[in-house]
Amino acid sequence: MARETMLARALVELADNLVSDFDVTELLTVLTDRCVDVLDVSAAGIMLASPAGDLRVMASSSEEMRLLELFEVQSQEGPCLDCYNTGEAVVNVDLGDDPRWPQFAQRATAAGFRSVHALPMRLRGAVLGALNMFNVDTGQVRPADMAAAQALADVATIAIIQHRAAAEAKLLNEQLSGALNTRIVIEQAKGMIAQRHGVDMETAFTALRDHARAHNLRLADLARDVTDGRQDLATPGHP
Amino acid sequence: MSGAGIMLMADDLAQGSLCSTGPTSALIEQVQYTLGEGPCVDAHRQGRPVVEPDLAGTGAGRWAAFVEPVVAAGVGAVFGFPLRVGAVRLGALNLYRDSPGDLSDDQHADALVLADVAAEVILLLQARAPAGMLADELARSADLHVVVHQAAGMVAVQLGIGVTDALVRLRAHAFAYDRPLREVADDVVARRLRFDTLDDQDD
Repeated sequence: MARETMLARALVELADNLVSDFDVTELLTVLTDRCVDVLDVSAAGIMLASPAGDLRVMASSSEEMRLLELFEVQSQEGPCLDCYNTGEAVVNVDLGDDPRWPQFAQRATAAGFRSVHALPMRLRGAVLGALNMFNVDTGQVRPADMAAAQALADVATIAIIQHRAAAEAKLLNEQLSGALNTRIVIEQAKGMIAQRHGVDMETAFTALRDHARAHNLRLADLARDVTDGRQDLATPGHP
Repeated sequence: MSGAGIMLMADDLAQGSLCSTGPTSALIEQVQYTLGEGPCVDAHRQGRPVVEPDLAGTGAGRWAAFVEPVVAAGVGAVFGFPLRVGAVRLGALNLYRDSPGDLSDDQHADALVLADVAAEVILLLQARAPAGMLADELARSADLHVVVHQAAGMVAVQLGIGVTDALVRLRAHAFAYDRPLREVADDVVARRLRFDTLDDQDD
């Protein structure tokens, strides 16, 4: 199959996976697999920066220890770290002929790799991480293949951004739902006090609020105690 | 379209009306709020658009109690679009038309965009609210049916039951007497209606 056709298929497959509630790790794993298929590289992985700023491996085309260790070591030095720090692509690095990362180069060579690439996962100004690719030979990757790899890295970036936005939306929705429930519980407690003590809603609310203040309670917590029958506010405020 | 409205929902239940364009839209929401069924409730629960181009015809088999009062108010077709951000569901956009008929493709697409925008705006507003509080803008514009919950509290004390059960009793009464839940609640809060002496009144 022509490389362009494979790339197009890979992009469509990834786009199909970008539905609501997708599993970001699974999607990134598919992406590293497609990198290997489409771009004629031997292994690929995705490293993302944690909130604290250190790089961690999120997905890999293989779970072999020798490969995972190569991601691990890049929290200290390596093409991914450089790529993440500068936001620039690091491509076609001959591991036998590059002094930048001695520890990384030594381990990568021992694992059988001869060349390495790292492409930034960028959104506007920010760099989220890097797409890392390894080859068992030192042949130069064509510019067209690098462009294809960058397209895959861009899809990964979108997936991560969407995932983070969804997580934030979920949190906000929980807050919204909690706030709605708090309002409801306070109204229910007002109704119970109004009925029990024969007062109107305003007086009931004043009694509730005054009791909360006098006993240093949150209004919402006191209201819940009232509706759960743990508190009946025996002495309501008077109009 | 003849009118539109937005219902806020949480825990699969209608919690309030954020806005509506007129009395008929308000009625469509109120009936769903009273009965717990209808296009917005379905759209919210199922997370997908719900279209009923022929409310009096095919709609009757779909929602047993919702259809009659709404058709009587002159509604021919109803549509519900979920308010979603990713997997998060906030409620539904409600559209209606006074004559039967489906949405055009463009109208359907526009409604989806509108529902998305509404969902984003609700979350943006809530993002600025203090912890545990409803955003001011939402609290001011939303009708959260507070009187219904006040009435539930009163009925709970009258009958010595929990507030959740009391709300069920209120809904059942509204349904049995074919009245909006809101009106029944108003009567309870105004002390024109008591549930502990209800049996006597009925006799």
